[in-house]
Formats: sequence, structure tokens, C-alpha cells
Amino acid sequence: MADDVLVLGANGYLGLHVVDALRAEGVEPRCGRRKRSNVLGLLSRKANRVLADLDDPATLREAMAGVRTVVHVAGHYPRTSLDPAASLALGLRQATTLREIAEEAGVARFVYVSTTATVAPRPDGKPSTEADVFPAAPDWGLYHALKWEMERVFCGSTRMEVRLALPAGCIGPGDLRVGTSAMVVALVRGMDPPHANGVVPLVDPRDVGIAIARMAVREDAPSRLILSAESLRLHEVLVRAAETLGLPAPSPAMSDADFLALAHRSEQESLQTGKRPALSVEIAELTVHGVPLDGTLATRALGLHYRPSTESLTDFVRWATPLGFFAHSPESRP
Amino acid sequence: MIDAATHTRIFKILSDLSAVPAEQIKVDDRLREDLGLDSVSSMELVSMLSEEFNLDIELEEAVATTTVSALLSLAERRIPNA
Repeated sequence: MADDVLVLGANGYLGLHVVDALRAEGVEPRCGRRKRSNVLGLLSRKANRVLADLDDPATLREAMAGVRTVVHVAGHYPRTSLDPAASLALGLRQATTLREIAEEAGVARFVYVSTTATVAPRPDGKPSTEADVFPAAPDWGLYHALKWEMERVFCGSTRMEVRLALPAGCIGPGDLRVGTSAMVVALVRGMDPPHANGVVPLVDPRDVGIAIARMAVREDAPSRLILSAESLRLHEVLVRAAETLGLPAPSPAMSDADFLALAHRSEQESLQTGKRPALSVEIAELTVHGVPLDGTLATRALGLHYRPSTESLTDFVRWATPLGFFAHSPESRP
Repeated sequence: MIDAATHTRIFKILSDLSAVPAEQIKVDDRLREDLGLDSVSSMELVSMLSEEFNLDIELEEAVATTTVSALLSLAERRIPNA
């Protein structure tokens, strides 16, 4: 099993944790990356890098030669909802191309890293499990619809064993783009981040990496697996973060409608400034439509031990501090 | 001082990422304000330098590189016989 696992998006937030976890399982993966990307994490790990660009089929074919298992952590991620039709088309085109090339290459197992946004709520309000699937794309905005449609593309394969990993919001070391961790960063910077009070399932990215690596190499892993340590209300997450890190408590949550409106305004402003929106519609919709989750199948099926969120928060801050995440000057924030 | 050939290779990387012609890039340019690189592309810049010259560069060093002169200093320190 020396060189037959390819990780697409290996240089990303989750990808690097998957690479580390595969190595812990005794596998030295091929690490797929786009030509223009930050691969400092792969270089420092002396990882085996290969060019694998979702928009360049030739690179995918070459990267998949002789590969038995593909771990796909590079699915299209809509950073804004400003052009939903284009985003949906891009994500579906990339997914369809990738699936076809993987099938032609003789890939036997395909682990697609999707999201908990595709898990449907239960009518009784209890935590949802892997059995709770939306019958059609949920009408909760671009992110939910795109991720549901992309899952459907991969699950439509009859030539590969497809496994879906569904990670919750990840807080922990490695979040270089400050995605899920944005509100924690704001808290530490002394800001008072506006927030709604939806349900937010959380997990440590290192635990996600371990689970995905086991899904890649173990014969008896489930085909659909929620990776979520706990589900909390967002206000409770921020209060817990403030307590853990010794910071002032956040102000109360705002209404869902106000939070969504704030996100839409933020994206519109980003059109003028050319900068990333302070609050994306995707984050707002994930919060407002958050579903409580039961992530215990991963513990039973894979022997996964979820880290407590206090450990994840503390380790995130320890990792991010020397990188200047918490300095007030925009110059020093990565 | 880095040699002319190394200087040219570094400015080509800068130009490729920023879409600013190499001859218009100045040593005192700031990566974000003057060359229009965001935080992600600034990291990609250091990563490309690292790959081009086969260097081990720590994340902290990459984050601290916010100007062309800082990039050149980094190259001067890390590239043997630059």
C-alpha cells in the first residue's frame, strides 16, 4: 500500500490532517495539489506531491494512474452566494469530470469529503444520524444545494465503492483561511461577533483526518459517516470559547432574519471592496439551518475518540497566535 | 545581495501571481496594498518561492513576508549562493 492512495486537496485545512492520519495508518499518500496553491505544509512534511487540478483533466488522469483509493477533500466551496448558478455549474462540472476520470482509471474506492449540511433534520427534533437524508436538494441556499447535488454525482457511480465523510464545522489547528474559526478569532481580537443562535455541530479537524484516513484504508468502514463531536447553539459555543480563553462574554444572539440580512449585506459590500465578506451567506445559512447530529457511529465503527471542544479551541489559539491571527493590524493577519 | 538570475526568477513569480509586469514591480512595494495580493495569494507566493528554489520555509516566515523587500531578504537568507 505504498503509493496507491491519492488525496485531492492534500495541502488544504483538512487535507493536511488527512495526510498525517494516513501516515499514522502506515500509508504514504500521493498528495494532489493545484499548480497555484500554498504547499508549504506538504513541503515541510516532505510529502509526495503530484499535480491534480479539478479543472485540468489531464493532470487528474496522470495523478490517478495506479491509484486504488481516492480521497477527495477538494470539492468546490462557494465562498460567496453572489453567483449561485455559476457556482452550482462549476461544482457539478468538476464533480462529474472527476468521477468519470476516477472510474476510467480503475479507482476501486472513492472517499468524498462532503459536509453535515447534507444531513436532514428529524421530524422529532432528535439528533440526526447517517440515515437522515434529504430526498431532494434542500431549499436552504446555494451551499446546501450544491453539496447535496455533488454528493449525488459521486454516489451515482456503479464502478467504485463510494464512501461519504460528513464533517461538522471544524475548529482546531490548521485553519489558515480562518473559516469556521472566524468568530473565535474575532472574540480573541476583542470584537463582539454578531451571531444567530442556530445549532452548530462541531468537530476537531485532527479527528476528521483520522476518521477519513480510516475510511480510506479499512475494508469495513461505513459508506456514510457523520463526523461531529457535539452539537451546540452558536451562542453557547462563543460563551464556551470566551470562558476557555479568558475573554469577555459575547453579546446575545440576533434573530435569524437579521443574521441572514447582515450576511447578504456583507457579500454585497465585498463586491465594492474586492475583499472577502466579513460574514458569508454560507456561514449564516449553515448556522440558521443547523441540525443537531449524532456522530457516535464513527466512534463505534472506526474507534474514533472525539477531542473535547475546549482542547480544540486551546490548540487552535496556540497554533494561530504566532501566525499573527489575533493582532489588530491587518498587516499581520494571514 | 542576490544575483541577477535569482532576482529575475523571483520577480517572474511575483509578476505571475500579481499580474503586474515584472519591470513595474518595485522593491518597496507591499504585497497587498501595491501588488493586490490577498492573504491567500501572499502565502502562495512564498510557497512558489519555496518550490522554485527547493527551500524549507516555516509558516511563520511566510506570514511575516508582506513586502517585496521582505521576500528578497528571505531569499537572500535561505537560497545558497543566491
